[in-house]
Amino acid sequence: MKLASHYNRASIIISVSMLIISACIYYVIINHIARKELDDDLSEEVGEFISYVNNNHSLPVAQYDENQTSYIKTNLKSFNTRFYDAPYTNPNHTEIEPGRAVSGLIHFNGENYIFTIVESREETEYLIQIISLVTVILTAILLFVLVVTNMFVLNGLWRPFYNILGFLKSFNISDITIITTKNTKVDEFRDLNDAVSKMSARVTSDYQGLKTFTENASHEMMTPLSVITSKLDNLIQDERLDSDQLKEITDIYSASNKLARLNQSLLILVKIDNDLLQDNETLNLSAVILEKGQQFQEIIKNKKIILSIELDNMEITASKYLIDVMVNNLFSNAIRHNKANGEIKIGMCGRTLVFQNSSDQSELNSELIFNRFYKGKTSDGTGLGLAILKNICSHYCFELTYKYSNGLHIFEIDFN
Amino acid sequence: MKLLIVEDEQGLREAIQKYFTEEGNICEECSDLKIAIQKIDLYEYDCILLDIGLPDGEGFTILEYLKSIGRDECVLIISARNSLEDKLKGLNIGADDYITKPFHLSELKARLQAVFRRKAFGSTNTLIYKDIHIDLSGRSVSINNNEIIFTKKEYDMLLYFIANKGKVISKNAIAEHLWGDEIDMIDSFDFIYTHIKNLRKKLMEVTGTDFFSSIYGVGYKFI
Repeated sequence: MKLASHYNRASIIISVSMLIISACIYYVIINHIARKELDDDLSEEVGEFISYVNNNHSLPVAQYDENQTSYIKTNLKSFNTRFYDAPYTNPNHTEIEPGRAVSGLIHFNGENYIFTIVESREETEYLIQIISLVTVILTAILLFVLVVTNMFVLNGLWRPFYNILGFLKSFNISDITIITTKNTKVDEFRDLNDAVSKMSARVTSDYQGLKTFTENASHEMMTPLSVITSKLDNLIQDERLDSDQLKEITDIYSASNKLARLNQSLLILVKIDNDLLQDNETLNLSAVILEKGQQFQEIIKNKKIILSIELDNMEITASKYLIDVMVNNLFSNAIRHNKANGEIKIGMCGRTLVFQNSSDQSELNSELIFNRFYKGKTSDGTGLGLAILKNICSHYCFELTYKYSNGLHIFEIDFN
Repeated sequence: MKLLIVEDEQGLREAIQKYFTEEGNICEECSDLKIAIQKIDLYEYDCILLDIGLPDGEGFTILEYLKSIGRDECVLIISARNSLEDKLKGLNIGADDYITKPFHLSELKARLQAVFRRKAFGSTNTLIYKDIHIDLSGRSVSINNNEIIFTKKEYDMLLYFIANKGKVISKNAIAEHLWGDEIDMIDSFDFIYTHIKNLRKKLMEVTGTDFFSSIYGVGYKFI
């Protein structure tokens, strides 16, 4: 539940209960005042009644001044005058209405009478009803206004917060666009905004620094590597070298070659991470795979591997370079870890590409194989091939999964 | 061929100079932009090997300078950056080819000769080595007027070996030339052997000479 809803709920519950309580108090007070007013009226009536009796020496008629008066002879010597609610029969409508009565003792012609004067309460009731209705309507309006203002004012107030949240959600460490600070009048949000901007700027710049370092380091290594390679190229021209020395040189060649590849792989990773390859174009993936298959053909034949390809036509939009690297790595992986007289099956069905290869190795840990520098004990690869593959796939939001079944290692890429 | 090597890494500069000089080429070398421009002002060169990252600026400056004074030396860029933009930029402002570090000297030489030939003789030219006549535009090879059919790889390899005649070329260099550096198969060089064997056989059948000598597992030499 949103913060605004929490607040809304609390404020509405409090407002409603406060309103109910105040309505009750209000009702009780009004009722009390109205009753008091009626009782005052009745007291006045009683006064008038007594003076009438004293002046006229007779009891007034029952219907007296719209009030109904009744008398009962009594033997009681004393009777406390009391006020109470009693039904009132309206003589015009002959309806029973709520009324207020007063009873008291009067001494007349040597006899005691209990007189009762009943007055209609209808007008007061009506007044209370009107007041209640007005209160209810006002309460409803108040609640409505409260909800609406909460909704709009709160939403407006929280907008900067949601902007910041949106920024954080879409925050990409390799993205160098800085947060666009929108001015807000709320101090807390301004502080939050500042803090988030500063943090993201610092994180991004640190990350950029690291990436630049990796890139520069990899580039800087290329020159010494080319010195090694070219010195070796000159060295093997020497006819005095014997086979042992040449064997050593071959090993140095291999090592420097591997180092160069490692470096190139790191550079590819940096380029993917930094989103430096944006030469997106529409590619026919099946054509790319067939072409690569052609390039790898000799190596596959040489290892006596049976290659079967079954491809649906599929087009994707991506960098040609990265897709080349991707297909290359899939092939290299399937060939490198294959066994003699093994097999490679490549299939594309719909928008799913599957590379399957046989191997001497049993099932691999699918959690680890895509990690950088994770490789089998016997592998002489760079340990970056599958990491690059994974990075390319996540860069384009392709889903890469590894499975093992029937002795085949299966790499599946879902392009949707 | 008169060559200027502009490269700030001394070891690399010396290695290139050594590899290229033996041919009877004239090689001059310098390590920064300033001296390179002085040399270009003073002498004419057939080819310039140009490093992009120099201590006093980018090698592109030299390309622009050559263009501004209307010179058309062959320029081959040597760069530590395998970046498409640098490559396109270099080729756009007049470079003839672009090679990324690390490279094999044999590769550099083959590329340099190819651009030099293209510039000096246009696209219609014939490369002659001993009895071997290669029509570079038609990509056909004939020996004593007998045309020999080579596969694409064999043809590429033949050109590569002729460019580096008399030099030992390592298997790594051959593999990289034929399959590009994308294909990483250092553990299986056997398939190079197959191609060399076929090429050797085809040449021997016509000329009766063995052009190849194998150097103890490290590589091959074309004589």
